[in-house]
Amino acid sequence: MDDSVDFLNSGIFAPFKKWGTKWSLWPVHLVTACCGVELAHAYASGYDGERLGSLNYGIARQTNLIIVEGAITRKMARVLKITYEQMPEPKFVIVMGACGLKGGLFWNGYHMVRPSDVVPVDFFVPGCPPTPESLLRAIRALQDKIMSGEARSTIEFEKYDLSGIKARSEQPLVPPSPRYCSPTPPIKLDVPRDVDWEFGEKLVEEMKSELKGLYKSITITDKNRIAIHVEKKDVVTIASKLSKKFDHVKNVNVIDIPHEDSFIVEYQLSSYSVKELMPVIVNIFARIPRSDARFPSLTVFWPSADYLEREMYDLFGIWFDGNPAMGERFLLAPDTPEFPLRKDRKLREEQYYEEVKQ
Amino acid sequence: MPELFGVSDILDVISMQHFVQNMVSIPLIQPVIDFLLQIPVLGYIVALILWKPMFALLIFPGLMTLLTVLLFIIWFERKLTARIQWRKGPLEVLRWAGGVIQALADGLRYFFQEVIVHRDAHRLYFLQFPILIFIPVLLPLLFIPAGTIVGIKSPYSLAITVAVVSLIPVFIVAIGWASNSRFAYIGTVREAFMYFAYEIPFIISVISMILVYGTADMVTIVERQAIPGIILNPIAALVFFITTVMATSRLPFEIPEADQEIAFGPFVEYSGIMFGLVMTIAYEKMYILSLLMSILFLGGGNGPAIPLLGDISGVIWLFIKAMAVMVSLAFLRSIYARLRLDQALRVSWTTIMKISLVSLAIGVIINLTTVGVVG
Repeated sequence: MDDSVDFLNSGIFAPFKKWGTKWSLWPVHLVTACCGVELAHAYASGYDGERLGSLNYGIARQTNLIIVEGAITRKMARVLKITYEQMPEPKFVIVMGACGLKGGLFWNGYHMVRPSDVVPVDFFVPGCPPTPESLLRAIRALQDKIMSGEARSTIEFEKYDLSGIKARSEQPLVPPSPRYCSPTPPIKLDVPRDVDWEFGEKLVEEMKSELKGLYKSITITDKNRIAIHVEKKDVVTIASKLSKKFDHVKNVNVIDIPHEDSFIVEYQLSSYSVKELMPVIVNIFARIPRSDARFPSLTVFWPSADYLEREMYDLFGIWFDGNPAMGERFLLAPDTPEFPLRKDRKLREEQYYEEVKQ
Repeated sequence: MPELFGVSDILDVISMQHFVQNMVSIPLIQPVIDFLLQIPVLGYIVALILWKPMFALLIFPGLMTLLTVLLFIIWFERKLTARIQWRKGPLEVLRWAGGVIQALADGLRYFFQEVIVHRDAHRLYFLQFPILIFIPVLLPLLFIPAGTIVGIKSPYSLAITVAVVSLIPVFIVAIGWASNSRFAYIGTVREAFMYFAYEIPFIISVISMILVYGTADMVTIVERQAIPGIILNPIAALVFFITTVMATSRLPFEIPEADQEIAFGPFVEYSGIMFGLVMTIAYEKMYILSLLMSILFLGGGNGPAIPLLGDISGVIWLFIKAMAVMVSLAFLRSIYARLRLDQALRVSWTTIMKISLVSLAIGVIINLTTVGVVG
């Protein structure tokens, strides 16, 4: 079997195979990011990639080229691999954009994978995003590569012996850039502000009488914005009282403050049912220690908080007591590092290698 | 025991004399043919190829023309769509000819690509149906007369052709079943729905034309068309055209193969040369139905005879008419959007069915009024 495949690749049929493959590079639709816009542009009336015999096609089985458009996340990496495996030989990969090269805008993100780690890549097209001309140039380059080389898809990267190669940090070529550090500012969510808002003042008075002894402070931070600073133990009582007025949670946030050894958990409430309260957003926040990252779940009062709490568990590892979905992965891919947005997560160091001249 | 065929009979049938008696005559190159016939082996081959049934099978309307038309129409369709969208279309592969061999490049690429048979497929059927489907695709070409050239003469040739063409969707359903994929399943069900929806008006329009001409022999039908059938029964021509669009799954009725929704339906799992085979089924069907339409409605091989070309004259006229029909079918693809399945079914079971019954009534009337002439 392998002999006959080799014969097709290098025997008397090879020129026909190369010629046919050269003029029939059909990219499969795998639009992952914004570079897809430039791909569409490259195949629309202005640039018309179909001139080169290249036709965008919907199905992996009948195509022979993947154009990876930009960022590949951990979830999409699986899709990319499946699509690549579905395609028949010979098959080729072109990667567009800075994100596909080294991560680009999302460099060192917890969710990023480089496409070259997943599939063998023939050509990279740098740019953010690359122009249609450069994409078509990559297709031209691939055509030349097919004609000059063998019409086979398997790309073998050159193996480098890294033992004789030093990381650049040991042997700096350029002077290090100066680093300016400022002291970490305090995080304050209830900065008072004088605004002309009579209804808000009335509302704050009502709240103060209703929540007597449960809050630390109630502040008007802007027009239509009220911040309530509370203790963690009082949150459930306050929520049960406020849930009569405010019928949904708009957002659940967590702020990680490692230098103060605490998390701030905030719930933003608003109302759809009472007309006067519709533009008002009330922010309940509490500080919890980093060592005991637990918080009572408020899904009993506001069901819309459910998904937001799960997401916060995914990203920060705050355990919301009473939410039944705690301990499960919600949005992140299974192989993502645990609690990636905690600030003490170690980032991967970037290393530059260079060959040492003997 | 009486012998049906003696050895001498068989020798008689395969003798060169038998071929020469029924040969395509082309006055323009007659001296060349005469010279070639003198050479022992080559002369036999030339006589065999120019023998009218073999000419119909191999040259026109058979294999060679079919392949040329396939290469042309796929390129033409892409080029036309591109021009309508203000693009150039396939060009660089052969710049001075507008990239006319683009389909050849695609075909070669398919030919050398890996053929994947996925785990869930019925391996035997998955591989054999795309090849078996060439039987109903190529068989009707033997019955189609191009002027005086016809493969098989039969008083029922039109009925046989329509019956064999109706077998193609059965094979497509079998292909979808053997693929065992969910997209293939949806596409197969859609194909079955569409099959029932277009087949009945299609057959009714053919029957109304049989009534108009009073015969189902296509050679006679062409002979009797002093006035083209499209003038005798324009409504039947309309129904035939619309059902051809549905039968070849062109837009706006490209429902079984809708590539944006269900990724080419029954053909989703095919790769390499097998996809090349199944993709061309619709185009081959389109070629047969265009030939049939030119014979039923446009006068077939009738046309001003060119004395120098002899028998080829009818071939050329039929080819021009069939290409005109095919080009108009290809034109539909680039200007229409796709209908939903329920819309297409509603159109065909109500409007087209009613129109086809009207065409049948016209056929009956013409048949009754001209019964003294043709009967």
